[in-house]
Order: sequence, then structure tokens, then C-alpha cells
Amino acid sequence: MKVLTARAAALRLALLGALLLASLALGLAAGPSALAPGNALRELFTRGDSGVAADIALRVRLPRVVLAAAVGAALAVAGALFQALLRNPLADPYVLGVSGGAAVGGIVALSLGSALGWGAAAVTPAAFAGALATTAALYAVAAVRGRVSATHLLLTGVVFNAFASAGIVFVASLAGLTEGTSLFLWLIGSLSAVRADAAPIVGAFLALGLGCALPLLRDLDLLSLGEESAAQLGVDVARVQRVLLLSTSLMVGAAVSVAGLIGFVGLIVPHLLRLRLGPDHRLLVPASALAGAAFLVLCDTAARTVLGGRELPVGAITALAGGPLFLYLLRRQQLHSGAP
Amino acid sequence: MPARRSAVCLLLALALAARAAADLPRVVALSPSITAILLALDAQASLVGVDEVSARVEPRVRALPRVGGLFNPSLEAIVALQPSLVALVPSAQQRDLRERLESLGIGVLALPNISYEDVLNSIAMLGERVGRSAAARARVSAIRAAFREASAQAQGRARVRAVLVLQREPLYVVGRGSFLDAMLDAAGAENLARGFADPYPRASLEWLIAAAPDVILDAADPAAGASAHWGHWPSLPAVAAGRVEALDRAITIPGPYLDRSLAELARRVRGSGSPQ
Amino acid sequence: MTAPALAFEDVAVRFGTREVLRGVSLELAGGEVLGLAGPNGAGKTTLFRAATRVVRLDRGAVRIAGTPVRTLPRRELARRVAVVPQDVAVPFPFRAGEVVLMGRAPHRTGLGFETPADVERVRACLALVGIESLADRSMLELSGGERQLVLMARALAQDPEVLLLDEPTAHLDLRHRAVVLERVGEFARAGGAALVVSHDLTLAARSCSRLALLADGVLAACGAPAEVLRPELLARVFGVEAEVFDAPDGAPLVVPRRAMQVPGT
Repeated sequence: MKVLTARAAALRLALLGALLLASLALGLAAGPSALAPGNALRELFTRGDSGVAADIALRVRLPRVVLAAAVGAALAVAGALFQALLRNPLADPYVLGVSGGAAVGGIVALSLGSALGWGAAAVTPAAFAGALATTAALYAVAAVRGRVSATHLLLTGVVFNAFASAGIVFVASLAGLTEGTSLFLWLIGSLSAVRADAAPIVGAFLALGLGCALPLLRDLDLLSLGEESAAQLGVDVARVQRVLLLSTSLMVGAAVSVAGLIGFVGLIVPHLLRLRLGPDHRLLVPASALAGAAFLVLCDTAARTVLGGRELPVGAITALAGGPLFLYLLRRQQLHSGAP
Repeated sequence: MPARRSAVCLLLALALAARAAADLPRVVALSPSITAILLALDAQASLVGVDEVSARVEPRVRALPRVGGLFNPSLEAIVALQPSLVALVPSAQQRDLRERLESLGIGVLALPNISYEDVLNSIAMLGERVGRSAAARARVSAIRAAFREASAQAQGRARVRAVLVLQREPLYVVGRGSFLDAMLDAAGAENLARGFADPYPRASLEWLIAAAPDVILDAADPAAGASAHWGHWPSLPAVAAGRVEALDRAITIPGPYLDRSLAELARRVRGSGSPQ
Repeated sequence: MTAPALAFEDVAVRFGTREVLRGVSLELAGGEVLGLAGPNGAGKTTLFRAATRVVRLDRGAVRIAGTPVRTLPRRELARRVAVVPQDVAVPFPFRAGEVVLMGRAPHRTGLGFETPADVERVRACLALVGIESLADRSMLELSGGERQLVLMARALAQDPEVLLLDEPTAHLDLRHRAVVLERVGEFARAGGAALVVSHDLTLAARSCSRLALLADGVLAACGAPAEVLRPELLARVFGVEAEVFDAPDGAPLVVPRRAMQVPGT
């Protein structure tokens, strides 16, 4: 009988860790600048040369690659947790409107900010506040005596999302020609030219969110059997749901407030890993962190290098890579189970 | 001794030239209007990199290294050029580009280009940073003079009720506060969209029809489609009188030649000019 | 006198304005198998939920070996009471063995993985129910009957004092029906108490020492199967005209003849 052991889990996590390291190395080595192509850059870096090449490696690429890893990990872990909370392998971090709330917060800060004299610095905290406020509202509306049913949560979240989307469109349409474009582009999701301290901030919230969720990973397995069955197996369902909502909103809020809406990472990474590694959350959640980080680093590297000096928004790359991949997985699942 | 004096003079001149070359700033321009200003000030030598759009529309900088689009410049590409100055028009989705550049020791000149004074300020500031202050001052004086003169000419005449359209669908017009609004005023037009507080607001077609402008100044792309588009609304006085003026998009650039744009605009407002 | 293994004391449960259970008192002793039957919507599943603290009681108490369920920590309650639900919808491809392993969760210490002893217990429970061959099959691929057997194995793996079974044989073939009822009997003989909800009155009569009829939130009858399964009682509780025969070994055999016209419906 096949059972997940601590050793098997550790081995797989180590492999994913190695994959992440390889992606980080690739991200550091690749870039659009004609001055420092591929290998030459790494040599310069290890020789400790100061000057443009080292500057690019250390002060431009390194923060960006680390940020991509942190955001990718945060989104993937949030995706896995959402899928557990909603008992649906097709859930993603945006389905409950948490990211919509973050976007609304950011957009309000952007529009009001220019009028009130706030700098661009107001955007990130405003987006984060939007995410947390949405989660609190979601819980308040959907919870009955402290517990939420997955269905209620999902339906409430869908409504919140629609509301947030409408809000965003409303604000954007009130904006003038240049601001409107600006707002939509902020939303698309990009890691370019983000403040240098963004990576540690996202990393801190990732650690916080993961830390909250780690003791509950086995309970997530039990939750898959249904809220009632989980309760009958000793799970404090209300508490687990609260912690999950808090943890995911911290991670998604941090990621979206810094980088905008980057899609597909939270959906594809946990889903793919579940197919390969099995559904046990004690392995799935940490694996999602590592694989999500690697995935976004690779996508961002592509976004930076594919068109030479131009940068594509990384959200476009994750959709281009993730979209067909997701359809393929869906098809495989359909053929496998014979269900519609 | 004349020979030694000329030698000394020559050496001095060379030294000065060398110092000047060393002092020559390395500028990256991140907007076509900024590129246009630098070129107008004859500062092409200082330009080491431009954005994609500038490279596309301005033949003189086509060969320069490109650092990305208007909204997604590549930090790495900019840094690789080792610029001493990056000139940009601030906008929200550049995110923290400014802070990152400054933390890397690269000077940033953020030049908003909404109002009339903004544009003049851009010319002056850029002139100062590339050592072309005199040329900049001259340009600014020329623009101010042109505006003064146009306004004076418009004093005696009745104002033409007009709207300046930037995009047809959805409808975006020139509202209050932008340099284009100032231009309309100097050109003798009454900007019917002044009521909108936004510089480039989105308006409804209903509003436009109710406002009933006598002249529609259409600067949207493509210019050729203007009469066909507005022809759908024959109730508009402008359409009935055949006063839909298709303008060259270049008029809307907040660049160094506002005086020329003003002259063209004034001609079209008065209705005595043919399209350029 | 030792406290009963499971006791419902005047239990009342209300959902909004609707009273689902209106004062039910019932006792099970260790070693006993009690059958619970009644019309759909009578409140049988709610009774289970009351015992596992999934619903809040309006009135009354449920006790496990004398201790009120309300006062027990969740994990301890889960170690002492196990439920075999009617079915489970698993959205992720957990294997049958993994689901049974989840039954050991209330017993785990710390945050770690299950011990080899846990794995052994799981293997044993799979064998008890006769589904070792299904251990590595994904739950998504199993039939309704196979899933029921997995749920039975999981409940056994919890090593409880009290077993609550909600229609454990509904989708099972004849052989597995017999297997499950044999396991329940063994569980009782080893000292456990089992409460079995069943729509099959004849089967319930054979496998249970006592039978309780729940109708409209109250207990209509409780006693030996022969006493409880009388046509007039069945008519009153189920609204059905039924005949009760004696099987050759003396156990009652219930055959429904005709649904009765209930005035006002």
C-alpha cells in the first residue's frame, strides 16, 4: 500500500528545490542587455568585478529574480490553499475576489492619489488593505456561526469578484485617456521596476502565510472529505477556515499589491503538482511554494528576454504558458474519469 | 610670439573641448515628446537610448538602442547604457522605476506634460540638463510670444464654439487644464468641454450633440475617417456647415514646437487653412 | 452500574424555526447493536450529528460513557466516536488506502506523519472489510459500494468505542452486506456500541439486538425487533400497510404491501 512518508516528501521537495535553484541561475544569467550576454555575465559576477555587469547582475536582475520567486511561491501556495478550502481543484487565488479587492484598493489609490498628492508609494499599502478588507467582508457575509460552507464561500466570492471588476471598470472609465490606460496596465501584472524592498516584503508575508498554514496541512487532507466528515475526525473546521482565509489573503494581498494580477500560477502549479505528486497537502503545499517560485522565475525571464529590449508583462507569459497547459490537463482529466 | 600663442590657444581649445565631451550627459529619453524636445534643442549627441515609440516615429533616433515601450521600459536595458540622466513622463504603471534608477545612482528627470506650463518647463529643464539653456530659453520665448500674439489676435473676434476630439470611439475630448486647452483658448476657440475638470475626459456622444459645436477639431486616428464618422450626425452644426476639421495627430504632442501647432490650430479654427 | 456507552438525554435540535428532534432519549450499552429506522426526514442523520457535535443542541445532552460530548475536546471525541456516512465526495485523487489512513488522524501525536503502526492498522482494516486490493485505487474511480466499504474501513481504523453507521449497506452486494454486518457484530462483541441506521427493516431485525423507530423528531418505539415490528406500529410510523411474517428461525420478516392514504397530503 502506497503511503506518503516524511522521507519521500523530503526527497521530492529537495528535487523541486534544485529546480528552483536552476531557474534562479537562469534568471540571473539571461537578460536583454547586449553588454552582458549569458555566460560572460556569470564569469564577471564570480570574479567580483565592479561596474556595469556586476551592477546589472546584482542590483537589477537579482532583486527581480528573487521577487519573481517570492510572488510565484505566494500565488501558488495561495492557490493550493484555496483549492483545499473550496474543495475544488479548479479554484485559483482570484476566485474569491481577494485580488479584486486588492486591485480596487490600488486603483482607488492611483486615481485619488494624483488628486490628493499621494505618491505612487500609496498604491501598495492601499492594495494590501483592499485585499484584507475583502477577506474580512467575505467571511462576515458567508459565515454562519463561525463556519463557512465551501459553496456559500464560492458564491459570495464570485459576487465580490464581479463587484470588484465593476468597480475597477467604473473607476477606469471615469479616468481620462492617459490614466485609464495606466490603470489597466497596472492591473495586468508585471514585475518590472518594482521597488527593491518589494521582495523582502512579499517574502515576509509568504513566510507568515505559510507559517500559519503549515500546522494545518494534514487537516486540509481531512477537509477534502467534507466539512462534516472532517469535523467528525477531530478537525476544528471553523478555525481552519479562518486561518486559511487569513493566510491566503496575506499572501495574495502582498503579491497583488506589488505586482498586479498575475494569473494562472495559483491555478496551474498546484493542479499540476497534484497530478504528479498526489493530493497529500503535507507535500503539495510546500511543493507548490517551490514550484510556483520556479515557474514564475522562468516566465519572468522569458518576459524579459523574448523581445530584446522590450518587456512583456509577465502575466501575458503565464497565461500563454499556463492556458494551453491547463486545457491539456482538463482534457486528460475528462478522458480519465469519463465525467462531463 | 604668434606661433606659441596659437599653440597655447589650440591646446586651450582642445582642453575645453575634451572637458565638454567628458561633461556631455548621457541621456535616456522615455517618451517621444522628450525625444522631440532634445532634438529640437540640438542635443542629439547626448541621447544614448530611447523608448520604442520614439524610435519608431523619429527617424533621427532610429539607430539608437531601445529600452522598451512607454509603459514597460526595461530597467536592465537602461542601466546597461550607463546613462547619467533618464528623462521620463511620470505615470502610474512605471511603478517604482524612478526609485530604482535613483538608488542605482542614475539621475531621473520626471517631467509631467499635461499643462502649458508643464511643457514649457520640460523644455527649460531639459535644456538646462544637457547644456542647451540658451536654446531652450529661445524656444520657450518663441512659444510664449506665439501664444501672446495669437491671443491678442483672438481678442477682437468672436470665439468659435469648438471641441477638440482625441479619440472617436469611445469619445475622448480635450477638457480643462491641458496645454491643448490653452492652445484652443489662444487660437480663439471656446472649448465647450471646459466643464470637465479632467484634462482628457471621456465624454458621451449625447453630451457632444447637446453642446452643438460649430467646429469639430478631430485629431484622432485615422485622420481620413473624420468626416465619415461625424457625417453620421448631420444635426451637428459643425457637420451641417462642413466644419469638421481633420487635424494631424502631431498637433497633440506636448513637444518643442507648440508655436507651430498653435499656428496650425488657429488656422483650422478660423477655417481659413487647408489640412497640412 | 456503568454509564451507557452512548446516551441521548432529551435531545432537541432546531434548524431555524423547524424542530428536527423534539426530545429524543435513547441509550446504548457497550456490546450492543441498536438499529435505528424511520421515514425519510425523521431526524436520524441529525441524531448522529448531535452525537458528534456537528450541530448544536437546543435542549438536552449526549453522553459518551457518562461524559457530556460538549465537554470533550474534538480530537478525543473523534478517537471515541466514529461515523460511517452514506457516501463521500472526494474532489482530489486520494487513494482508498490514504482515506482509511485519515481515520488514524485523531490518534496522531504532534504534527508528523503516520507511524508504521498506523499503517499496519490501516492494512488490517482494509483486510477486515475485504478491500485490500483497492488500497492503491483512486477514490474517484471507485463505485458507490466500494466507497462505502472504504468508509467502513476508515471508521474501524479510528478504533472507536462507539460506531455510528448511516445506511452502511445501501449500495452493497449481498456478500459485502453480510461482511459489513459481520464486522459490526464483531465490533460489538469486542465491547463497542454500534448504532446502525437502516431502511432495510428485515436486515436490521436480524443484526440488531434492539430496534428504535424515529418519526417526526420523536422516538415512536424502542425494543426487541419482534415487539417493534408490528403492522399497526409500522402503519403509524411509515404510513404503509405491511405484513410481518416469522422467518424459519423466528426473526421477523417485513413485507410492505401498500402505501396508505395519509389525510391532508
